[in-house]
Amino acid sequence: MAFDLTVNRTLHHVDADPQTPLLWVIRDQIGLTGTKFSCGIGQCGACTVHVDGRAVRSCSVPASIAIGKPILTIEGVSSDGSHPIQLAWKEFDTPQCGYCQSGMIMSALALLQQRPSPTDAEIDASVTNACRCGTYHRIRQAIHRASALMKA
Amino acid sequence: MDETKQVDRREFLATLAAAQGAFVLGFWVPTRAAAQTASGLSSTDQSPAPEINAWIVIAPDDTVTVRIAQTELGQGVWTSNAMMVCEELQCDWKKVRPEYASANRDAREKAPQWTLNVPGNGAADPNGGGEPTFGNRDPRGISGIPDSLYRRMRTNAASSVKDGRYYLQLAGAEARERLLLAAAAQWSVPVTELAARDSVITHRPSGRTTTYGRIADRAAKTPHPHPERITIKSPDQWTLMGTEQKNLDVPLKVTGGLVYGIDVRLPGMKWAAVKSCPVYGGDVKSFNFDAVRNLPGVRSVVKFPVPDPDLTRGRIFSGGVAIVADSWYQAKTAIDRMPIEWSIPPEHAAFTTANMQGALITALGQPGTVRASYGDVDAAFARAAKIVEATYSTPYLPRARMEPGNATVLVVNDRVDIWIGDQSPQETRFSASKITGVPEQNVHLHLCHLGGGFGRNGNGPQAEHAIMVANANRGVPIHLLWTREEDFIGTTYRAMGMARLKAALDADGWPIAIEVRTAMQEGGFGSDASFNTVSRYYVPNYRYTHHATKFHVPVGTRRGIGQAANEFYRESFIDELAHAAGKDPYRYRRELIGRTNLPYKADMITALDMAAEMSGWGSPLPRGKARAIALEERGAETNGMATISAMVHTVSVSRDGKVRLERVDVAHETGFGLVNPLSVKKQIEGQIVWFYNDAMHQACTIADGHIVENNFNTFPISRINEDPPEINIRFFPTAHWLIGMGHDRATSVQSAIGDAIFQITGKRYRDLPYSRHDLSWG
Repeated sequence: MAFDLTVNRTLHHVDADPQTPLLWVIRDQIGLTGTKFSCGIGQCGACTVHVDGRAVRSCSVPASIAIGKPILTIEGVSSDGSHPIQLAWKEFDTPQCGYCQSGMIMSALALLQQRPSPTDAEIDASVTNACRCGTYHRIRQAIHRASALMKA
Repeated sequence: MDETKQVDRREFLATLAAAQGAFVLGFWVPTRAAAQTASGLSSTDQSPAPEINAWIVIAPDDTVTVRIAQTELGQGVWTSNAMMVCEELQCDWKKVRPEYASANRDAREKAPQWTLNVPGNGAADPNGGGEPTFGNRDPRGISGIPDSLYRRMRTNAASSVKDGRYYLQLAGAEARERLLLAAAAQWSVPVTELAARDSVITHRPSGRTTTYGRIADRAAKTPHPHPERITIKSPDQWTLMGTEQKNLDVPLKVTGGLVYGIDVRLPGMKWAAVKSCPVYGGDVKSFNFDAVRNLPGVRSVVKFPVPDPDLTRGRIFSGGVAIVADSWYQAKTAIDRMPIEWSIPPEHAAFTTANMQGALITALGQPGTVRASYGDVDAAFARAAKIVEATYSTPYLPRARMEPGNATVLVVNDRVDIWIGDQSPQETRFSASKITGVPEQNVHLHLCHLGGGFGRNGNGPQAEHAIMVANANRGVPIHLLWTREEDFIGTTYRAMGMARLKAALDADGWPIAIEVRTAMQEGGFGSDASFNTVSRYYVPNYRYTHHATKFHVPVGTRRGIGQAANEFYRESFIDELAHAAGKDPYRYRRELIGRTNLPYKADMITALDMAAEMSGWGSPLPRGKARAIALEERGAETNGMATISAMVHTVSVSRDGKVRLERVDVAHETGFGLVNPLSVKKQIEGQIVWFYNDAMHQACTIADGHIVENNFNTFPISRINEDPPEINIRFFPTAHWLIGMGHDRATSVQSAIGDAIFQITGKRYRDLPYSRHDLSWG
């Protein structure tokens, strides 16, 4: 079966079962590997992308839910790392292994788009992705910094 | 293999080269030109930039490529190793590009003689190379291969700086000296009149200059007449080492551009999903491929045996089956639906957490192996004013790195190519050769960054699975990827353990005898850490006995190894003694360390004092909050390399039993110098989270012989809402080289949370994780 998805403002024609999890369509059909697989059950958030502006754990939703809606992946935030949230992440040298960071940035970006000046409590409630290296301390600082940069 | 055309090596490499535009592996992968030259194929690429030595390549535009023999898994080795080379090379740091050293070259070339001798006089000599540890020669590279080109390619035990520093500094110095010699020859001037800085060579009398890029070709052909006389800079001469440098690969980690093993895509590649027997030592009895062979994308099935224990360091994993399909999700869907029957050894199926704990308790009551003993312990207990005894336990713990195990392998008749994130490529090279029959000299590893390591690789059989499946599909690149649940089967575990500590106190509450008994599964790593040789806390009569038991779970080098468990036992017990004596746990520790003759006792006291002072130790806290302190040391029993730190953890427990680690104050020694203090801070922050998880949340239990918790719904990982709001880190100088700090710092979180819970609630829990207990109060 074939269907169309709009990822990072580009229309992609996909030949796959629409019940395939969105993650695998993004990674294997469309070829964008910045979005990661880790738990496969929507627990860890490494696979977080935006569908219609909302953070979604793409390993646990069928690709069909995104038909006709804009999808944003880490590659669409900016390819050169110039988006304020990426600048903030680099300023604090935030990632360690980096594997969770695409999903982490997408979760934080969704929060910042809804709450431009999030409190620590709002960060705690919204950015619920898992990082095994334990980079949370820098992530929190980077989110606050990104908030300032995005308003500037 | 149906419908899949076999490709020969030449055709495959040509296809791969043609696909380079779309196939962006990133800058760390060895160039295709190098791989082709290595395999005897002619290269069509432009002539490569001059290689000065096996670590350093300098292009005409002054770009310096530094070859890194350790794997980047978040610890910052990609940057710190490059800093050690470039400190000596004196090149422009802004034009440095790391890439992985070739494990294939390592199989074919010997290390230059001048890298084999460690300069200086060991741990206490600031001008020397410290005390690197290479094990005995082992073709598998478990401890490194002492005379192979890159020697130790393994990345473990927080040893990348300790083991690599002297020869990486030497490599940088050798290249710098040859660049200077080449410029001197070109200008016909004495080399002593030249100076090098930021990739520019200046002839001081004339002011004439050239660059590394312009002279590199000549330098590559200029041998050094006396490389054995080259010395390395001491820390007081460092200008790059010792400064905070952001990690060179971080920009690629915020764009999704960094390619991990899981992201490797090759022309004609097929995917494999696996199911292996959940009970270790088990195998496939039968399976019905016919039930799924017509599902979309499905190509073939491969049954594989229990991986040869000789390839997995003696550990017994499981046999299993893999389905090969056009996409991984198709392969996974098919294998989930395929009926499989297992053949399980009944003696393994009989294991449960309860009977294994029972076996450990039984072991503690038996004679065991005495590992340290002095004084007369029994006589001291007979005259004790008070006896304190406590039994602690720690569960099986996996690494659970974020990137599930995977590897991409292409086997053709005379060559194996492996794309993998790997903490021990020399062992994987050995496995590939044993499984396929292709000599190690024809095995090529294309190393990728790892999505977390924590001690995993070289222990679990991800590479062996992929090699076995690819060997059954020669000519087709196979990308094998474990599900998270398979990853919990394929990992090794920190062994479940128990400890019984018993102290005789005198009338003032000071210990006159301590008896330590630890029990751990046989093969558990670091089982004697923290208690070996001599008690770190002064006691005149001491006995330490270890008891090994046999279980079937494969155990290995998880972050912190046995030391993390043993420091939990030791520091918890010291807290209990202090409370029993009615003394302040910080001053109690300080006094007992001060009474010893340990070579680094002053450093340990400095660490305790600094952490206490930073935390405001002794100042009042509201009800429901408490502070606890602990010492962390590796190597403090001798005067060799060591790492010493102390931390104070401020913890709150709400009336309904919610724990929050509020604040951590860290005092950490620098030794003669930290290579990249920024990476050290990040490693400390990360290990606070790591051991917080061990303390609060994580445990794997065993039922019917298999691991029960096998994904993040049952094996929780803390989130940002549990991260301590305040972390303060201060360093203090000491006069020895550090042994490493990437895996055994912040073990104190475990005992400190336990002691804070005790101070606040009056309840003392001695088995981890604490979240399994009712922590409410008041």
